[in-house]
Amino acid sequence: MDVAKEKELREAEALMEKNVLLTSIDKLLNWGRGHSFWPVTFGLACCAIEMMAAGGPRVDISRFGYEVFRASPRHADVMIVAGTCTRKMAPLLRMIYDQMPEPKWVIAMGSCASAGGPFADSYSMLTGVDKIVPVDVYIPGCPPRPESLVYGLLQLQHKVNHPDKVRLLKHGK
Amino acid sequence: MGNNDVLRKRVDELAARVNGKVEEMIDTLVLTVQGAYITETLTAAKNFADVPCDFLHDIAGVDKVTHIEVVYQMTSLRGPQKLRVKAIVDREKPVIDSVTRIWAGANFMEREAYDMFGIQFTGHPNLKRIYMWDDFEGFPLRKDYVTEPVEVRNTMRVRRDDE
Repeated sequence: MDVAKEKELREAEALMEKNVLLTSIDKLLNWGRGHSFWPVTFGLACCAIEMMAAGGPRVDISRFGYEVFRASPRHADVMIVAGTCTRKMAPLLRMIYDQMPEPKWVIAMGSCASAGGPFADSYSMLTGVDKIVPVDVYIPGCPPRPESLVYGLLQLQHKVNHPDKVRLLKHGK
Repeated sequence: MGNNDVLRKRVDELAARVNGKVEEMIDTLVLTVQGAYITETLTAAKNFADVPCDFLHDIAGVDKVTHIEVVYQMTSLRGPQKLRVKAIVDREKPVIDSVTRIWAGANFMEREAYDMFGIQFTGHPNLKRIYMWDDFEGFPLRKDYVTEPVEVRNTMRVRRDDE
């Protein structure tokens, strides 16, 4: 399916489910989700080293509650695509994404995952993982510093906690 | 006589036998031969007296537009000797003998050279693509390869069941 269309449908579905009773519970749930992302590690290249550094003691992402890196997509709700996604890897990336339980988000970390980076014109490259899965947060950098990843995760937390605000930013009044 | 002199002598002898050309490039002896002589050349180089070049580092292909070169980098774990052998093969029909019988480790390197340049290694036990997927068309490191347009590259490939 077209990824842009998929993203739209996903958002519309989330909107449909809301009614008066559920909104308050939803707020609580989103607060919980936003403060304890369980990322599935999708380290593909050098960005993965920075992702590991973000988990280490110097830039400690467990301060924010994001340290539970899962090796299985079935335990996770955020996929951090860290590195160069080639065309050979693309079907596998999509498979991992499909195995994650709802609700789920994707972070494209680094310029390769965002737009193909320096390899965009290469025979084996995809120009960004947003052609395969709907991406929520793009983190620029080659590779981004661990602080950037933390900032990206906090942006995602903001997005999860304030879906109405994000909708307003995106579509206007 | 130093190690390099002995190696030079051996390589010169070998070059005379296989009709090759020897030159020196940044402290490395380069022996250029025709593709048909490759098994003989490398067997002899592996068994040089005193200075055996018995460790195969790498196999690479080079597209020279008029022909294709297969480059073998050799050295030894027991000495400083280094040798580079270039085999010239036809560009339209690049066929050369496999060296997997001499070095079993050449297996994956030859698959890589096949994957990128389409060089056919006769006698290779399992000559198929190693980096690209099996139904990929063309050989991407050849000079005349045209990269697919971005619209094609951005569509997701469907994996076959047996992959």
